Amino acid sequence: MQYEGEHLFIGQLGHFFVLLSFVASILATYAYFKAAQTELSPETAGWLKMGRLAFGIQVFTIIAVFVVLYLIIYNHYFEYKYAYQHSKRSLDMQYLLSCFWEGQEGSFMLWTFWQSVLGLVVIRTAKQWESRVMTVVSLSQIFLTSFLIGIYFFDIRIGTGPFVLMRNEFPDAPVLQDPNYLFKYLTDGKGLNILLQNYWMVIHPPVLFLGFASSLIPFAYIVAGLWKRDHQSWTKPALSWSLFNGGILGLGIMMGAAWAYESLTFGGYWAWDPVENASLVPWMLMVAGIHTLLIYRSTGHSLKATYLFIPSGYLFVLYSTFLTRTGVLGDTSVHSFTGEGSTLYWHLILMMLSFLAVAVVAYWRERKNIPVIRKEESMNSREFWMFVGSLLFFVSAAYIIILTSLPFFNKILGTQWAIGQDVEYVYNRVMILVIIVISILTAITQYFKYKDTTRKYLWSNLLIPTVITLILSALVSFLGGFNYDKYGAGFLAAIHLAMWAGIYALIANGTYIFKVLKGNLKMAGASITHLGFALMVIGILISSSKKELISINNTGIAISGLTDVKGKAENPAENVTLIHGVPTPMGKYVVTYEGDSAVTKNDRVYFKINFKTGDTTAKKEDFNIYPNAFLVKGDEGMNLSSNPGARHYLTRDVFVYITSWLNPNAQAADTSAFRNTWVKKGDTVFYSKGYVLVDNVITANKNDNKDLPVVDSAWLSELKVISQDGRRYDATPAYFVKDRQPSVKVDTVYTQNLVLNINAVRGEEIELGIRESNAVMRYITLKAYGFPYINVLWAGTIIMVIGFFLSMYRRLKEKRG
Amino acid sequence: MKKIHIVLLVVIAIAIAGLLTLTKDITTYDSIESAKRKEGKYVHLIAKLDRSSPVVYDPVKDPNYLSFYAVDSLGARARVVYRNSKPTELEHSDRVVLKGQMNGEVFECKEILLKCPSKYKDDPNQQFKEFEKPVATADSTKTY
Repeated sequence: MQYEGEHLFIGQLGHFFVLLSFVASILATYAYFKAAQTELSPETAGWLKMGRLAFGIQVFTIIAVFVVLYLIIYNHYFEYKYAYQHSKRSLDMQYLLSCFWEGQEGSFMLWTFWQSVLGLVVIRTAKQWESRVMTVVSLSQIFLTSFLIGIYFFDIRIGTGPFVLMRNEFPDAPVLQDPNYLFKYLTDGKGLNILLQNYWMVIHPPVLFLGFASSLIPFAYIVAGLWKRDHQSWTKPALSWSLFNGGILGLGIMMGAAWAYESLTFGGYWAWDPVENASLVPWMLMVAGIHTLLIYRSTGHSLKATYLFIPSGYLFVLYSTFLTRTGVLGDTSVHSFTGEGSTLYWHLILMMLSFLAVAVVAYWRERKNIPVIRKEESMNSREFWMFVGSLLFFVSAAYIIILTSLPFFNKILGTQWAIGQDVEYVYNRVMILVIIVISILTAITQYFKYKDTTRKYLWSNLLIPTVITLILSALVSFLGGFNYDKYGAGFLAAIHLAMWAGIYALIANGTYIFKVLKGNLKMAGASITHLGFALMVIGILISSSKKELISINNTGIAISGLTDVKGKAENPAENVTLIHGVPTPMGKYVVTYEGDSAVTKNDRVYFKINFKTGDTTAKKEDFNIYPNAFLVKGDEGMNLSSNPGARHYLTRDVFVYITSWLNPNAQAADTSAFRNTWVKKGDTVFYSKGYVLVDNVITANKNDNKDLPVVDSAWLSELKVISQDGRRYDATPAYFVKDRQPSVKVDTVYTQNLVLNINAVRGEEIELGIRESNAVMRYITLKAYGFPYINVLWAGTIIMVIGFFLSMYRRLKEKRG
Repeated sequence: MKKIHIVLLVVIAIAIAGLLTLTKDITTYDSIESAKRKEGKYVHLIAKLDRSSPVVYDPVKDPNYLSFYAVDSLGARARVVYRNSKPTELEHSDRVVLKGQMNGEVFECKEILLKCPSKYKDDPNQQFKEFEKPVATADSTKTY
């Protein structure tokens, strides 16, 4: 059958490039392997040349695959499943790239691309290590490209091709067999997940995947070292690569945190979500590995630990991909990706086991020849404390990954475990203790020298930072207003201790740069990294423990029988409903829902929320926040997908998101009716949430009142509406007669949903009509938080990353020198 | 014994102690029936929204009160109360994981995780049903 309007050639071209890429990486692996095996023989040069050529072809083809897929998305060729599934005509240009990251195929492409680029750098710089390192890199490329080939091997499809056609993927859908299906049915794509329509989502995945990809290179160097039976000369390049990995992966993770902070509605940057944990763990392993590698290079200790930590970094990158991409996490993760079927599951297991085998076999062959220093480290040496810190990092990484893997264990063991009531606290209470120890180690360890340090040297240098820290810590504890008591005094004490430790790390590293390194920033990479880390610790502690809920709603029903972990009464409810135009007090602010935009072409609505401080507050604030939300078509009407808005100050953020909105366009017709009651002055009438007091009824007519020029006679009422929660509102509905025609002035009390009128009159008596309605209202429900000093966390992140790169730069210089 | 070994032992001991304290935080996935038997204990329920009963949420009255019925795969049914705003895709969900405890006949829910079908991926045939009412023509749906 001939289908109208299809563009089949471009997809075939793309698929051809994918296959070529796969074959080229097999060839590259083989050639590099042979080059390594025949090292120093005349054949080597030939194999090397061939390996480079094959790898070059692989790099070229993966870029070509990228370009082809981009063209398909850009040109809206919806006959391709990838374009149909992840893009849409109305999508803004800047998010076209995000379409790549949304799907599994695009993510693997990105990952493959970065490993290709890093491979090229290795080819240029690795010299004697090229053949072995590139064997490992190319092997990894075989696996990554195999996720994209989508060819059948007997009955099992290996990988998912990015260029499959809709009509081939869904042969049972009759509409797709229509020759005109592209013009009749697949006229637009499903679009991009709205959570990804955020600028952080354009840059966070590439950086994170560069982090994932770069953890391969130190792994490859270690395998190469063991393979070559050389335990020394691989350490120089591997150290630079590990530092690069530490910086980039750290940056990628924190960009994800910034994205979560700005566009997810957890109200925070970190939720110990499995997806977050899975990328944090490889970073922690790599940081532990960097430290043991430094120890090894300076003293000869800790080589075995390095052989454990650094390769684990890459293995856990693979494991984290496995956890997050195969749907194993299922019910536990807020943003776990959908499972892509059991093929991917076994495919990734195969990849993990292969690389585990590579590392284990390489180590096993050499296990007897690994140099070990019998002499014990001194307690006064830098290496001792560095090792303690690394070990602690390693153990905490294990703690995190074991808990994160519970769903996977359930799957294997058939159990039903889950982390209970308070997931974050399960992590926080352990990690805060880790942070205390790590921060103190970060503060003091640099003041130790390798091998041995005299007490005198140590104290003369540590005295000043220690004294400054003690003073600052006392000030912070007494004046800082830390009183986070949700988990009792023990946890609060831990917060104080962690603050002191963080301050110590900050001050001690700051003084180290100026006093010991004499402000030589080129040498100060480590200190700057640690200083940034200390700032992050301080930022996390302040912003989390002093995070304040602004939208406290105490008007809700008291919750009986529910207590939190420590048996205290339930927190006040977190959502407040704002009626359009009605200022509502909320914490120190008076908040008004001033309006909303029309629904844009992307089904997005912007809200304007005004925050004002009361007149009594010393520092006056008056600002608007514009949270927005997408309307998502659901089975039963429109759903709201909220995007927070924030007001950024240097020292704090006010953060708002919409939890519910009554769309006036979609609103059902108002069916409520007036309930009429005859009343006179002094009477009361009840409504569902309070009562109406008739304060006064004034009657007037033209004959005795000359102030009534327009109407013949009037009945003016003065009503007090008193709601259950004790608030009072005035209302003045009225009734006029002119030329024997009655007219009615309706009054409304928005916050109480009330419409009031006078329906008829009889002397001094009036017939008061009360209508309780939903339709009179435009309202939103929102949550608002205050995050103090969140910028300290972001600044710390940037400084830490700069520190990593400074260290890397210094190591690279060293290599040349 | 080397000092480093002592450090190792201490760290391992702490790690084991840490994992042991976890046991009280470990909970289980339950059905409605088994959750009823463990009244007051914090559990995870895997259930579905019962679409035959109304979802009660009126933000004007109380933005922190949501109530609906859930059914599990064994057919048991329970009223769920969630003292927070209504997750916007609740009606759209295919499965819900409810974290909380039974309180008499009512499940007091502290956290809701929604599993929304990406209709497309889970049931392609469902997906194409909307095409079978061919209201769309090429001209009327093109938006640039």
